[in-house]
Order: sequence, then structure tokens, then C-alpha cells
Amino acid sequence: MYVNKDKRCELSELIAEIKNGDCVAVGGGLSCREPMAALRELVRQDKKTLKLVGSAHGIDIDLLAGAGLVAISCESYVGFEQDFGMAPNYRRACESGEIKVEDSCCYTLVQQLRAAISGLPFMPIRSILGTGFIELHPEYKSMVCPFTGDELVLVPALAPDIAIIHAQYADSHGNIHIEGPPVADILFAKASKKVIVTVEKIIENDELVKKGVTIPYFYITGISEVDYGAHPTSCYPMYGYDREHTALYYDAAKKGTEIFNDEYLNKYVFTAALNEDYLKAVGGEETLKKLEAWDTSTEAWMELYA
Amino acid sequence: MLSKTKPTTCTLGELMIYQISKTIEDGILAFHGFGSPLVQLALHLAKNNHAPNLILVAGATYGINPKPPFLTPTSNDLAMGWGAECSIEIDELFDVAASGRMGRMFLSGLQIDKWGNMNVTRLGDDKKLNMKLPGGGGGCNLSCDVENITIWTAAHRALPNAKGRRRYRLTESCDYITNVGHLTSDNTPRKQMSYLGKGPDNIVTDLALFDFDDDGHARLINLYPDTSIADVKESTGFKFPIDENLSVCELPDAAMIEFIRKLDPMKIHERELSNNDRNRNFALKG
Repeated sequence: MYVNKDKRCELSELIAEIKNGDCVAVGGGLSCREPMAALRELVRQDKKTLKLVGSAHGIDIDLLAGAGLVAISCESYVGFEQDFGMAPNYRRACESGEIKVEDSCCYTLVQQLRAAISGLPFMPIRSILGTGFIELHPEYKSMVCPFTGDELVLVPALAPDIAIIHAQYADSHGNIHIEGPPVADILFAKASKKVIVTVEKIIENDELVKKGVTIPYFYITGISEVDYGAHPTSCYPMYGYDREHTALYYDAAKKGTEIFNDEYLNKYVFTAALNEDYLKAVGGEETLKKLEAWDTSTEAWMELYA
Repeated sequence: MLSKTKPTTCTLGELMIYQISKTIEDGILAFHGFGSPLVQLALHLAKNNHAPNLILVAGATYGINPKPPFLTPTSNDLAMGWGAECSIEIDELFDVAASGRMGRMFLSGLQIDKWGNMNVTRLGDDKKLNMKLPGGGGGCNLSCDVENITIWTAAHRALPNAKGRRRYRLTESCDYITNVGHLTSDNTPRKQMSYLGKGPDNIVTDLALFDFDDDGHARLINLYPDTSIADVKESTGFKFPIDENLSVCELPDAAMIEFIRKLDPMKIHERELSNNDRNRNFALKG
């Protein structure tokens, strides 16, 4: 339980909570509300041999893979959908053997997190039997249900060492408000041993209560205010998805590890160590204004995907 | 943007969207997952036409009965859940399926075998990973739990490479079973498993339509106006039975085509198609 009154800290202190070899749950999903600023700081701090667990992800996991931080992936999906296709860094690291592939599946993940949340050693699940995941995960067991006689799979509890989440709002005590789909963030927060959160804005508790508390403070280890902390993924209603920057990222990643290092990591992660420098590097106010203008008209919104 | 005159032809994408939509029953709960613009459009088309009572759950936002202003290239976007009358969360979505309340889901794979098994995990085996595929999201769980599954792929056509070899999308067997069809990874017929779902009942491709026979084997039931049995055989890695009433499939009507074009002004769905297939057009009758 995290009961300290003021959980605000610098982004670097927040990320210092992550240790080499940790099992890490990255929040958000696909191109939405990924904790990208936190992940860039993680790359700068060069925390290695991480084990990643999650549902459907994209640039977040690909970035960590491209920076050589990942030893094991238990993600359910890592890609750029029809937008750009497969995740280049992730794919390369899996195929070279640098990342050990232990793919999972969304409901399997949910049940494993629920076991941890409920203090149970496992949860039963009806699916998975008869698929490749049984062989890939020798830790799954099966049993005949004593009530129905059906064969069920038992998946072990999963308590990640740390969850990294980006949200729209928090108060200084660490209560969190997430707008839009929380994806697996609430489950991650309740199941993980530590939870670190970046937010667009820290506000007073009474304001936050009006918006609604998505995750109560006592699960939360620390929070840090980071403007545009999800960029280039979206954080509605503040800003939309920066497809243009994602395309630039994808092109660099596709050219191989070395070029990705030179063209992307050096420019947008290592040199731009301060968030304000990063925001300048990605186009400054002009870019940010465009991303914020998604709600001015359907045309302005569509423009972001052109 | 839209032409004032009624469309007189439909594209391959629009034909596939219509055919996927026809597999959707009215009054059920159906979910479209992510990375599947053809399916997203098919669900909206179904709800706008023959299935007004469809409980349409948008993939990635989990918004229910949304009214997107336009289709986006990524699925967890506010636009895709825009105007939803209510929404659920990831755990509830999968609980709905696990408790037998999800009527239909749509799955695909880089490999699809004759039993409707699908691979989106890896090419190669345990010892040698030849290609890491993106992964199946919740497909594995849903392939077991959901009452009916529509399989779709826009890459059935398998052209030979420089050495004359074809890499089949519809293949004899999968290197890895991500989503289970009618015969499991240890060769057990689906009927002997304690899954809630009945397994895949349709495959909609860029060349033809299949259903599954009593043994759970894919069976050719419809061709397209520009494809032949020989075309389908040439691009399929397994032998398949052919329905005795084999016919050319129906095309969508002009109003449906206009609906699709309005909902997808950026033609996001064409990204699922090969360049050549984007030029396939079919004349509507009368």
C-alpha cells in the first residue's frame, strides 16, 4: 500500500523504480495513451533484460525492443495494424533470438491478473486447450472440473513487478482519472507490485472526484506530470494520434537497428532528454496545435491520418 | 468527394465487406477486434441493413453501437468509438464471450488451414523461428468461446515467387495454431472439446467463399464474377470439396456501396488488399 501524501516526483525518479530484469506491464493500447515519455526515459536509463506482459500494443513495445531492453515478450499483439504493418524492431529482436517469445492472449492475461488481484494462485479458463499456447506455456496446467466434468486450463497468477501507465489526470495523492478505454490499466494497477504513472495534468482531489477516480491512490507508487506524455500516440481529449511522426519512426525502425539508433533514438530519445526538447524535436507548437485541433472539425481530425 | 450519381460498379473490397456482413445475424452480439477494417465496415453495414438489432462492439475501444465519423487506420481511436451508446472494458468483453454471450467474431491469419485453424504467432517451429508474426490479441480465447467465427483474408491469391514456389495463405497445415478451428493441435476433432463455440462457419477471401462441411473441412461454395475453380485451386495449398450448388456470389447494391464509401472516405480498407486487387471492379446489375 502506498500511503505517502504527495507522490509527485521527477520523471527520472519515477523510472528509477524499474530494475533490470523486472516484469513490466505497459499500459494503454495500440495507438492510444501509451506512456511514451516514460518509456523514452526507460531507454535513457538503459534498464535491461525486461520481461514484458500485455494485450495489444505497438510503438511502445517496439521502442523498447529497438533499444535492446527486452529479454522476454509475453505480449498478445505487437504491431501497427493496417497503418504500417508489422513492428520492425520487435520482429527483428524476436527473430534473432534476442527476445524470447512467450506470446500470450488477452483473456489469458486478464485471468492471470485477476488471480493476482484476488490473492489466488491461479484462475481457470475454458479456452486455450487445443492451441499452440499449451505447448508454448508449460506452466499452464489443466484439470477436470469437479462440478461439470469439463476439462479446464489453469493459468498462474501474474503480478508484474511494475506497471507503467499514462493518464489524463491525477491528484497529488495519486488518485488517477483515465478518460476513454482504460484497456488493461486498471487490472495492471491492481495486480502489480509497483505502479508508476505519468499524467497530462495534476489537479485538486475535489476536481478529480468530479471527473471520477479510475484507480485509487493506494495502488500508486509515484506520479509525474509530463505534457504530451503519450506522444506520438493519442491522449484524447487533449490530443490525437501523430501519424506523421509514427511514420517517421516506422521508416527508421525498418532500416535496421543501427540506423534506428542513429536516426531515431539519438535524435528523439538521447539528445532530447528533456521533455521540452523532445516536443521541440517533433515539431514544437505547430505539430502540437495540429494534434490538439482534432475536435475543431471532422476535416481537421481526418487531416491527422492523411 | 462522393459522386452525385449512383455507383454502377463495386470494388473487390466492397464485395468482401458485403459478404462478411452477410455472415452476421440480427440480434446477436458481435465484436470486430483490431487491425480489421474490412470487418469493421461489414459490421456497420450489417447494422445499417439486415441486422438493426446487432449489438456491435468496436474492437479496441469496446464502445457499443458507435457511429464513427470516418474509419481510422488504427482501431483504438476515439473516432472508432464515437457516439457509442454505452461501453464495456477488456475484462468484461472477454467474460461476455466466455459466458457464451458473443454470437460472432472475425479472425484471420497468415496461415489458415483446411480445418479453419489460423496462425498469427510465428512461422517456423520451436527450434527455428523464421518469422515472428504480430500475435493474435484475444483471438485464441475467442476462437474457443465465441458461438460462430467468420474467417476472412484478402491474401488468398498465392502468386509464385522467382523460383516458382507459392506461399499459401490457405495452407495444408499451420506452423502454430493461434486460433483453433475444427481440428486441434493434437488432432482432436473440435466436437470432442469442451469449447462453448462451434468454430468457423465461413471463409471470405479475395477469390471465393467457403463454408465448412460436417467434418469441419473448408468447402468452396461461391466464386466471384472474375474467378474460376482453377484460380481457387491454384492458390490453395489443400484439396477442397466443392458445393454441388456452386455459384457466383451476390454483389452489394448501390445504397450499400454508398454507405461504405461514406464511412471510409480515406479507403482504409483497401490497405488490406494487394495493389492489383484494388483495381478489381464488378458491374452491378441494371
